[in-house]
Amino acid sequence: MWVVLLDRMDPTRLRRCLEPGLSILVGTADSAGTPSCCRGIAIQSMDEFETITVFLPVATSHDTIHNVATTKQLAVVATHPRDNFATQFKGTTLDARLAREDESAFVRQRLDALADVLDRIGVPRRLTHRVAHWPAFALTMRVEQVFDQTPGPKAGSRVR
Amino acid sequence: MSLRLSDIRRCFQGVIPSMIATADSRGLPNIIYVSQVYFVDDRHVALSCQFFTKTRRNLDENPVACAEVMDPVTLQAYRLRLKFLRSERSGPLFDTMSLRIDAIASHTGMAGVFRLIAADVFEVTCAEPVAGFLTEAPADMPEGASLDGMRTEMRGLQWVSERINRATGLESLLCGVLEALEEYFNFSHTAILLHDEANRRLTTIASRGYGESGVGAEVGIGEGLIGTVARERRLLRLTSLEADLRYGRAIRREAADGKRALQAEIPLPGLPDAQSVLAIPLTIGDRLVGVIAAEDRDPMRFSEWHEAYLDILANQIALGIDRMMERCDENADSAPTEAQAQTSAISPLSAGPAEDRRVRRLTYYRNDDAIFVDDEYLIRNIPARILWKVLGESTRTGRTEFSNRELRVDASLGLPPVKDNLESRLILLRQRLQEKCPDLQIVSTGRGRFALRAGATVEMTER
Repeated sequence: MWVVLLDRMDPTRLRRCLEPGLSILVGTADSAGTPSCCRGIAIQSMDEFETITVFLPVATSHDTIHNVATTKQLAVVATHPRDNFATQFKGTTLDARLAREDESAFVRQRLDALADVLDRIGVPRRLTHRVAHWPAFALTMRVEQVFDQTPGPKAGSRVR
Repeated sequence: MSLRLSDIRRCFQGVIPSMIATADSRGLPNIIYVSQVYFVDDRHVALSCQFFTKTRRNLDENPVACAEVMDPVTLQAYRLRLKFLRSERSGPLFDTMSLRIDAIASHTGMAGVFRLIAADVFEVTCAEPVAGFLTEAPADMPEGASLDGMRTEMRGLQWVSERINRATGLESLLCGVLEALEEYFNFSHTAILLHDEANRRLTTIASRGYGESGVGAEVGIGEGLIGTVARERRLLRLTSLEADLRYGRAIRREAADGKRALQAEIPLPGLPDAQSVLAIPLTIGDRLVGVIAAEDRDPMRFSEWHEAYLDILANQIALGIDRMMERCDENADSAPTEAQAQTSAISPLSAGPAEDRRVRRLTYYRNDDAIFVDDEYLIRNIPARILWKVLGESTRTGRTEFSNRELRVDASLGLPPVKDNLESRLILLRQRLQEKCPDLQIVSTGRGRFALRAGATVEMTER
């Protein structure tokens, strides 16, 4: 089964999840199953998506951090705003930490790239730059499931 | 609840996509984008159920959700705690949400594929701003319904009423209405399309802000944004049109692998880069008279205030158009009016020294029921037959004055026996001539009468 699912995975899908200019959503639930959401700023993977690390502004991610501390379950959607190409990752949190200073340039660069993309589709760059992005938490999750989340009849279908 | 939803209504215009998180019965989270969270009232919102299979399953197992919406002007985010109440598959809320989706689907050639399955209604148990989301406090921005807006509302209503009452004919009424919309609401790109019951199509009869383009353009009932508004007889306001179209096109790409053949995308009328559209059906009872469409490059151009207010204005405009079309049919054989007296000296087609006159070649293609002027498309269907009739008559007899009544009794023109829209067809013919063949004019000489004026030698060919 695992092999079949891997075969269905479009290799460009994962590559696009590392491109700049992504809009990132993070979903969690508390121990009672009450869901929560927040926006992420950046995403990275150093091991071919065995794990991903998502960066969240400290200012807006209290509920998310609280939830992963108790349930460890995480859902992350990475979307290209210009064509709505979207992928959802689900898995277990392995590590939650404050992002390091040497990661701030990467996070800032991803916010700038998103601001550029949004500016081209009508959201002024100056507005996006007002979004809090630093300091940030870095959540590393083990990727257990990957879903096609692009709007359409295949949205929600598992690709890995 | 710390916030009233009506205080953050801009968040519900769909300019910036929202997100919704759910969890299954085991607490495993799921998060997705939604193109729009719909405002229902101060305690309820609705989400469109189209493809959200996982979200729907989660809500059945665990009927709570968390949504985040954003103010498109300030970019402030607001978090809503939601309790799922019910799915509506019919009724006013469903119809309103469905209209928007149907219009986008039709516009992107996805009619029937991309549709609303249900309107999922939620109680909002808590709504609050996401503290710290912005690094600086959002500036206070004026609301769409400002005091200026309220003053404009009264004056605008008065102004449009005056224009309708003062209009001497359908053409001046249509122009007056579009002028008033620009003057009082700054709607600088507008068009009026009238319904032809005989062929179930809408024809652009007047436009403003598009240069010479637009008049004569047709759309079928149910086709694209305007055709959908006409079919449903419901007002449609689309903000951030580009985002909606991107969403629709994403679905189209995804669905393209399927076996179903997709229709060609219908080009937007008017502005190629329109970001917002307001289309208002003109109806009298259940009868469709036409549609007024306005568009703008500003995604936030049309507000809820415009929607409610223009709905009222549309009733007046529809009645005005209908009354004017009826009135145009009266007194067709009455004594010549002042206008008629002034135009009685119209040159017949053959008048004037031939060497001074330009030659225009008009060709009627019988199979296509269309007239071309110097190889350029001019007009088709009934207005083409009318032009061919009066040109032929004028060439044969030298007569240049005609009445609506004689057109009505000529069965070869194919006018419907009732609600024949003759006046609007003549306006269309007049405007197309003005744009494509200004040497040839149809001049109104009073109610129910018109004259043909030729400033060129006309060569007629029939194929």
